[in-house]
Amino acid sequence: MRLVIDESRCKGCNLCTLVCPYRIFRPGTTANRRGVIVPELDRPERCANCRLQHLYGRRLCGVCQMICPDQAITWEEEGPCEPVKVAIEY
Amino acid sequence: MTYEDWFREDRLPHIYCVGCGNGTVINCTLSAVDQMGWNKEETVFVSGIGCSSRAPGYIVTDSLHTTHGRAIAFATGIKMANPDLKVIVFTGDGDLAAIGGNHFIHGCRRNIDLTVVCMNNMIYGMTGGQGSPTTPPGALSTTTPYGSREAAFDLCGLAAAAGANYVARYTSYHVTELTRAVRAGLESPGFSFIEALVQCPTNYGRRNKFRQVLDQIEYFKSHALLVQKANRMREEGKKIPDDMIIIGELARRNRPALGVRK
Ligand SMILES: Cc1ncc(C[n+]2csc(CCOP(=O)(O)OP(=O)(O)O)c2C)c(N)n1
Ligand code: SF4
Ligand code: SF4
Ligand code: SF4
Ligand SMILES: [Mg+2]
Repeated sequence: MRLVIDESRCKGCNLCTLVCPYRIFRPGTTANRRGVIVPELDRPERCANCRLQHLYGRRLCGVCQMICPDQAITWEEEGPCEPVKVAIEY
Repeated sequence: MTYEDWFREDRLPHIYCVGCGNGTVINCTLSAVDQMGWNKEETVFVSGIGCSSRAPGYIVTDSLHTTHGRAIAFATGIKMANPDLKVIVFTGDGDLAAIGGNHFIHGCRRNIDLTVVCMNNMIYGMTGGQGSPTTPPGALSTTTPYGSREAAFDLCGLAAAAGANYVARYTSYHVTELTRAVRAGLESPGFSFIEALVQCPTNYGRRNKFRQVLDQIEYFKSHALLVQKANRMREEGKKIPDDMIIIGELARRNRPALGVRK
């Protein structure tokens, strides 16, 4: 699964930057076409839900999605790809 | 189904301001409804007037967007006409406690089987920031330019005293707990009241030293005090500072409920 921010919905409030235990969301720097400064994702593959949703068969963590007042955070299915090693700091 | 399936995708993004806490409360409520496994045909959302009361307009189920303050009155009608429907009310502090105060009290007294979620931003958001019955003493609003001199309503205390079966308070920071509380409210027969304190950056925060959206959320985080801990502090004779927000489950009982099929 891949974590994505829907740029057509995000209003740039940065609430997501406050809640992620891995600090995946960082305040953005440049405004998009709509004038919204969307947060940047720092190595989103570390997200617990990206890694483990399929294994557990349910949504894990998900607090960023719950607190996002604009329903802008979702996960997308990914196509088959090369395995990559993901470093998680505990 | 997931909670996302309850939104009217074509109506999003909603009209709420940047960082408005109302959106978070809608997420938590829909997530709780989804966990209940209810279907869209048997679920009805009802609201009055205000920013908070616009919520049902973004949800796929049947809904009633009623006149200011009358959400609980309309919801009572729905529930009495067809007790099989699951009725959830979205309301604001002004809608619920000012113009709708009497409906609120009598809803609790009747213990009608509704779940009422109040997005308390401590202000009249939609009309430009007038003081509401929950505006804290000292807070600035357009009608209290020198700071409010009135005491604020404790909405949960009011609901519990008037007879509601389930009462809980959380904030828009406590998303997991809030979802759990709404779920507990949906599960319990009778009147369930969940107060969610929310940030209103535009009309409350801006005037009350919360310049950024995150400032008021940080305040909720640092000033929330779990009710069990508050009780312990009282027993030990410690003083709880006035600005603390008592969160948690504040009442759960089993008074006879109205609108439940026998
Ligand atoms: C009968 C009536 N009186 C007054 C109004 C004006 N009015 C619209 S919204 C509102 C206050 C809403 O405050 P609240 O319920 O706290 O909702 P918020 O916008 O803060 O979410 C008022 C007074 C109205 N629409 N109808
Ligand atoms: S689901 Fe949890 S771990 Fe994943 S991005 Fe959101 S807050 Fe971070
Ligand atoms: S919480 Fe949602 S709307 Fe706010 S910045 Fe993050 S993605 Fe955007
Ligand atoms: S005025 Fe306040 S309550 Fe209304 S949408 Fe804006 S931030 Fe939210
Ligand atoms: Mg209000």
